[in-house]
Amino acid sequence: MANSQQNYFEMFGLEPNFSIDIPKLSAKLRTLLNSVHPDRFASSGAQQQMLSMQKTTHLNDAFAVLKNPVKRAQYLLHLKAGIDTAKDHTVNDPEFLMQQLELREELEDIVASSDISRLNQFADKISQLEESQEEQMAELFEKQPLNTDELEKAIYKLQFLHKTLSDIEQAEDKLLS
Amino acid sequence: MALLQIAEPGKSTDPHQHKLAAGIDLGTTNSLIATVRSGKAKTLPDLEGDHIMPSIVHYAKDGTVSVGKSAKLFVCSDALNTISSVKRLMGRGLKDVQKIKEFSANRLTASGTGMPAVETDCGIKNPVEVSSEILKALVKRAEESLEGELGGVVITVPAYFDEAQRQATKDAAQIAGVKVLRLISEPTAAALAYGLDTGSEGIHAIYDLGGGTFDISILRLEKGVFEVMSTGGDSALGGDDFDRAIAGYLVEQANIDKSDRNAYQMAMIKARDVKEALTDQDSVEINFKHWKGSMDRKLMESLIAPIVDKTLAACRRTLKDAGLKASEVQDIVMVGGSTRVPLVRHKVEDYFGKKPLTDIDPDKVVAIGAAIQADVLIGNKSDEDMLLLDVIPLSLGVETMGGLAEKIIPRNTPIPIARAQEFTTYKDGQTAMAIHVVQGERELVEDCRSLARFELRGIPPMVAGAARINVAYQVDADGLLKVTAEETITGVKSDITVKPSYGLNDEQITTMLQSSVNYAEEDMKARMLREQQVEARRVIEAVQAALAESGDKLLSKDERNAIEEALKKLAYLSENGDIEAIEEAIKAVDKTTEEFASRRMDASIAKALVGHEIDEI
Repeated sequence: MANSQQNYFEMFGLEPNFSIDIPKLSAKLRTLLNSVHPDRFASSGAQQQMLSMQKTTHLNDAFAVLKNPVKRAQYLLHLKAGIDTAKDHTVNDPEFLMQQLELREELEDIVASSDISRLNQFADKISQLEESQEEQMAELFEKQPLNTDELEKAIYKLQFLHKTLSDIEQAEDKLLS
Repeated sequence: MALLQIAEPGKSTDPHQHKLAAGIDLGTTNSLIATVRSGKAKTLPDLEGDHIMPSIVHYAKDGTVSVGKSAKLFVCSDALNTISSVKRLMGRGLKDVQKIKEFSANRLTASGTGMPAVETDCGIKNPVEVSSEILKALVKRAEESLEGELGGVVITVPAYFDEAQRQATKDAAQIAGVKVLRLISEPTAAALAYGLDTGSEGIHAIYDLGGGTFDISILRLEKGVFEVMSTGGDSALGGDDFDRAIAGYLVEQANIDKSDRNAYQMAMIKARDVKEALTDQDSVEINFKHWKGSMDRKLMESLIAPIVDKTLAACRRTLKDAGLKASEVQDIVMVGGSTRVPLVRHKVEDYFGKKPLTDIDPDKVVAIGAAIQADVLIGNKSDEDMLLLDVIPLSLGVETMGGLAEKIIPRNTPIPIARAQEFTTYKDGQTAMAIHVVQGERELVEDCRSLARFELRGIPPMVAGAARINVAYQVDADGLLKVTAEETITGVKSDITVKPSYGLNDEQITTMLQSSVNYAEEDMKARMLREQQVEARRVIEAVQAALAESGDKLLSKDERNAIEEALKKLAYLSENGDIEAIEEAIKAVDKTTEEFASRRMDASIAKALVGHEIDEI
């Protein structure tokens, strides 16, 4: 039965895996909200309304975590190994640090040139990197026993790519306005 | 168990009877009320057949309050005591509105609410009170026309309304004595009106250009679920800006001193005529003061084009938030009188690459959508019909060191939503702490809207940094914020005093309710007792229905007995008790049924999940 002790995956009737079908997940969210949303209790008593708001809030929270790959990975690692990676911390991986520096420089360079098509190409490149990082993440989560060091590194990398993508978006906003 | 049936003569206690509900478009310039009758949503006219009610309130010296058309008569003759466009004052500060031309004839003054109030010959009126008069007039119209009391209303607000503005709107309804089922955003209401008529699934953009506000919302309709994907706009941009641009041109042509208020007022009226005339005509002759000339559509369009472009920039931002391209939008719904301007239609069509929808009267479409939603919320439709999922329009944040705003809930997060934050003390023995909540996208607190200051007291004294104060922010389905705080080590709940930056506190609302001319103290008591009795009846009916449905499955014998005992007591007191006794008995029922209600909700979630999996196969 669904209750507040359930983890986010269980709330949606899912096994705790990194791979998730997002469109299916959001369809499921809508089905669940259909039975608990405050609109279904608009003419009910205060107690029902409070309960319905709490359940809906909980579902919205769970969905926000599951649909975001970085947050999902962090949550899953916490769930499976009790490791908290939500706080910013660096990982010792010289090769990735180098790559990181290069990507940041490339972005700065593009922003300085105000070249929107180059920016879009760069965005595609980062998206591809992100995608392969996500695939790698899914594999890592399937290994038994879990290699938590590798996972922490992978989460850190994914987080960086994610952040870079949102920086690209902001840069695009600035260029277009 | 035999339960007391309370029935008034001529009134059925049948829970399946059609309940009266209405949708209210509480607009800046005009307001409307609509309801669903025989399955169709329609706006309700006054006795003379007018559907639109001007959002104008007049306060006469003798205390007479008139609203709508009759108040409009005083706009020129008694401008000082006539209040138009009060929506622009809701949840705002005196500084925000001093530049607004509509209030040039009124005496604006500071009030204890943070909001600007208007000095009239029958006292100082704050915006919430003025709005409540408009709501009362609309509700009266509906109740006379429907011959019955409204069970609840849905009131629309601009999607871009911040928390303070929404709260002020809800407070106005409370003072008017109307039960608010939900506040929904105007564009969403418009989509409901179109979506149900055409049944079209997909992505909808709602372009709402009213007199004083612009909203753009991107919605997805799928299997009866309306999901707000993103929303944006400008709460100080509208058709009035068109008038201002045209008036500016007229004043310039006629060589009139810009500080001449009267002439400017005249120019604004002229400008509106010109704008309306050029909707159908290509050119119009103008006589303004000593200046004679003409304006063609092209000239007008060059004057207003920058304003229309501003709206398109907001469209672009909002689409981006939804992760969509303009070409992915299936329908564009036009709302608001200003969308009659041909240039607006053309530019919108160019931007989205398809013709916008204009079938429903843009003045009525919002009220119609609100009525449809009210009908669902009051329970006249079965559950699976439709669901509206809304988002928070502006990011919520708190002030941190150095006057920076730290975002807690980003904009376009689906509501209801909650976020928690941990604070600690920075001095030994510190027992109090202040939190400043703001709303907006900018980095500096001074560039955001100040919502409220929360003061936490009763933190157990400890050494600096030892206390862990968990502050929880809950935004409900109306977009309204509640803050709670708890010291997590000792479990001590802190007392929170809320000081809304621009709004009424609970005490002020109670005072205003009591001083409301419509309810003398005796009436007020009788009314409260009656409301309490109705509430008791509702609780009894609801719990009984729940027991019949799943009492056997979800409750032990003892649990069930306890609930039935509490119900019996409530049924007795609702007939024989006073307000407090009934209230206590309802609370007792709530407490004994808490666990049952929670189990029921969990069961329905589990059922939905199973049903969903079956659907997938």
